Amino acid sequence: MWRLSSKIYKEVSFQSIFSLRVGSPLPQRGKRDVRQLVRSAGMNTLISKLITTAFIGIFGSIVFLPLTVNFPVSGTSRELTVVGSVSAFLAVVLFLIVFMGLQVSTAFVSSKVVEILSPLPLSKRDISNIIFLCFTRIFDIPLITAIAVFLAAYLLVGGSILGGLIALAAIVTAEVFALTLTIGSARFFYTRVARGGGGSRWQTLLRFAFMLVWVLPTFAAYVAVNFAGEIVRSFASLTQSFSSLLQILSLVFPFSWGFLVSYATFLRGIDQFILVLSAVSSIGYVALAYYCLKWVTGTVRKMGAGGIVAGLRELVKDTLIIPQVPWLGIIRKDLRVASRAPSYASLFLLPAMQTVILAISFSSISEVGLSAALGILMGISMITLLLPPTLLSIEGLASSYTRSLPMKKRTLISAKTLLSTVTYVISLIVLLIVASYLGRDFSYILTFGAIHGLAIAAAIMLELIILTNKFWTEGFAVGNIYSRLSIYILIFIPGFAVVLVPMIATIAAFFLAEQLVLPVFLAVASAEFALMSAVVIREK
Amino acid sequence: MEQLAVRVEGLVINYGSFVAVDNLSFTVKNGEIYGLLGPNGAGKTSTIKVLVGVLEPRSGKVEIFNTPLSDEVAVKSQIGYVPEEVVLLDSLTPREFLEFVASIRRLEAGVANSRIERLTSAFELKQYFDTPIAALSMGNKQKVAIVAALMHEPRLLILDEPLIGLDARSSKILKELITFHAKKGGPVIFSTHIMEVAEKLCTRVGIINKGRIVGEGTVDDLRKLVKSAEGSLEDIFLKVTEQEAGMQEIVKALEEE
Repeated sequence: MWRLSSKIYKEVSFQSIFSLRVGSPLPQRGKRDVRQLVRSAGMNTLISKLITTAFIGIFGSIVFLPLTVNFPVSGTSRELTVVGSVSAFLAVVLFLIVFMGLQVSTAFVSSKVVEILSPLPLSKRDISNIIFLCFTRIFDIPLITAIAVFLAAYLLVGGSILGGLIALAAIVTAEVFALTLTIGSARFFYTRVARGGGGSRWQTLLRFAFMLVWVLPTFAAYVAVNFAGEIVRSFASLTQSFSSLLQILSLVFPFSWGFLVSYATFLRGIDQFILVLSAVSSIGYVALAYYCLKWVTGTVRKMGAGGIVAGLRELVKDTLIIPQVPWLGIIRKDLRVASRAPSYASLFLLPAMQTVILAISFSSISEVGLSAALGILMGISMITLLLPPTLLSIEGLASSYTRSLPMKKRTLISAKTLLSTVTYVISLIVLLIVASYLGRDFSYILTFGAIHGLAIAAAIMLELIILTNKFWTEGFAVGNIYSRLSIYILIFIPGFAVVLVPMIATIAAFFLAEQLVLPVFLAVASAEFALMSAVVIREK
Repeated sequence: MEQLAVRVEGLVINYGSFVAVDNLSFTVKNGEIYGLLGPNGAGKTSTIKVLVGVLEPRSGKVEIFNTPLSDEVAVKSQIGYVPEEVVLLDSLTPREFLEFVASIRRLEAGVANSRIERLTSAFELKQYFDTPIAALSMGNKQKVAIVAALMHEPRLLILDEPLIGLDARSSKILKELITFHAKKGGPVIFSTHIMEVAEKLCTRVGIINKGRIVGEGTVDDLRKLVKSAEGSLEDIFLKVTEQEAGMQEIVKALEEE
C-alpha cells in the first residue's frame, strides 16, 4: 500500500506542478519529453519540500543559536527571549508548512487521485488508506525536520527533559494546526471557489479574497524568516514594558507554549498567574489539535471514498454572454483562470508584496535618493518580469483547443503585457500607500517608478515575443515553460537588460549632467517602449 | 469547375522519429460530408489538428477555401472545430468559456447570444451554464465544445469524434445539424469510429491506415475497391485496413478462455 501511495503521490505532484488535464498538449510531445516532465514534477515537489525543510532549519538556528551565548541580550530577560524564540519558531513552522502544502493540496483535494484508484479492485477502506498515506508523503520531510530541529535546538540551549516533552507537544500541535489549515483551505478553495461557479459578483469577490488568503502564509513566512531576530527581541522588550500584554499572549497560540517551555526550562521568571493561563490554554490547544487531527484524517479518508467533490450548481437565469474585443477577452479569461488557481493567483500579488517588504526595509532612511529609488525599482521589476511566462503558460491549459481559434500573436502579447504592467502599477500604488502610512517622502521613487513602467512594459513585450515565437507552433504546454529552467534564463536576461538600460543611462547622466537625470530616464524608457511596441505590431 | 473547400497535398506529420502521417492527400468539396476513418493511431486526429492549426506539419500543402494555412487567422476564422479530446479551460464555466471564444472570434453580442440561446436549448446545456466545466460530465463538456464550434456559423465544420459521450437525443440533433450544414453547401470533415454513422452520414469517406489513405470514395466506390457487392462499411474498413485477417481466430481464442 505504501508503494501504491508512492505512485499516487507522483501523480498528485504532476498535477499540482503542471495543472494538466486529460488530453492536454502532452500527446503532441515525444515520450522522452513526457518522461522528462514527470521527472521534473517529482523533482520540483522534492525541491519544494527541501526548501521548506531548509527554511525550518535555518530559522531554527537564527532564533535559537543566540540563546546559547551572550545572555542577557540588551537588557531583555532570558526567559522572555525563550518565549519569543519558541513562539516565533512554531509560527514559522505553521506558515511554511501551510505555504508548501497549499501548492500540492488543491490537486490532492480535487479528487482526481480517487478517479485513478476507483476502477481498481480495491475496497473503499484500502483507497482511504492509500490516500491517507499519500497525504503524509506530501509533508513527511518537513514535519520530521521541524520536530528534530525544534527539539535539538531546545536541548542545545540547555533545555530540561520536562521542557523537551512540552516542546514536543508544542511542535506537534503546530504541525497538526498547519495540516488542518492546509487541507481546510484547499478543500474550501476547491469546493467553494474553484468549483463553485463564477457567475455572481459574490463568487468573484470570494475568489479574489481567497487569492489574498493564499499568499498570506508566503508573506508571513517571508517576514518571519527575514526579521526573525528582530521579532524575538521586539517581543521580549515589548512584553517587559507591558506586563498586561503577557497575560493576553499567554492565552494565544503559539505564545502559550512559549511560556510553558520557558518555565519548564528555567523554573522561574514567569508569573504564576501567567503560567496557569498558558498551561490551561495549551491543554485547550492540545484538545483542539486532537480534534483537528481527527478532522484531517477523516477528511482525507473521505476523499478516498470520493466524498469531497462538491460543485455548486447555480440557478441559471439566462445564457447571455458579453463578448469583448479580443485582447480584453484574453485578460478576462486570464483573470478568471488565475482567480481559481492559487499558483497563478499568488504571482499577481508577489510584486505588490515585494514592494511592501522593500518599502519597509527602506523606511528607516529619511530621504530616498536616486540610488535607493533605482534599487527598489530594480527589485520590483525583477519580480514583475517573472509574471509573463506564467501568464503565457495559462494558454497551455487548453491549447489543443484554443490554438484553433483565430488569435493573433500581437493580440496575445498585448493582452499579457497590459496585465503584467498593471500588476507593476499596482505595486506603485501600494508603494504610495505605504509611503503615506510611514510619512516618508517617496515622490522621487514614485516619479521614477511611473516612468520605469514604460521600460518594464518593453521588457515584458520582449519576453513575450521570445516566448510566443518559440512556442506558437509547438503549443504553450504548461510543462514547456515550467520544466525548462533554460526558458526562464532565455527570457529573463534580455528582459532584465531592457529594464536596466534606463537605469544605467540615468546613473551616467547623474555623473555627467545631474539636471538631465529625469529627462534621460524618460527618453530611454520611452524609446524602449516605442521600439518594442513597433515590434509587437509587426507580429501577425 | 466545382470549388474545393479543403485541399491537402503530400501531408507529412511526425513526432520525433515517428511518422504519423505519410504523404497524405485528399480534397473536400463544398456541400460534402467527408468521413475520415481509420484504426486507432492511423493519423486521423493528427491530420485534423493540422487542418485547424493546432499542429505544425513537417511538410505538405494545405489550403482551406483556397487560403493557405500560413494565413492562419483567416483560415481559423472560417472553421468550427470539435476536438477528439475535449480539453477546454476547466476552471471556467461554459458562459465564461463561450464569452472568451466569442471575444476572440469578434462576435457581436446580439448575434452570439441568439445562437447560443438556440444551441444551448437544443443540446439541453442551459442548466449547466454557470457550472465549472471541470464539474461537467464528458457528454456535457462535448456539448460545450459543440456550441463553441457552431456559434459563429462557420463555413467549414471539422468534427473529430463529435458523438463520443453524447446522449441519443443530442447525437441525433448534431447529425441533423451536420446534414443541414452540408445541404446549405457547407463542407464537413467528420472523423468517427462508428461505421454505421459514417455510412449513413458521409457523402464520401477516406480510410487512413498507418498514415496513408488506403481507400477513398463513396461506400459504393469502396465496395468496388474490395470487390464486394453487399459488404457494410465496417467490412470494407476491416478489409482495406488489413484488420480482417485472423480476427475470427482471435475472437474464438478469447471466447475459449
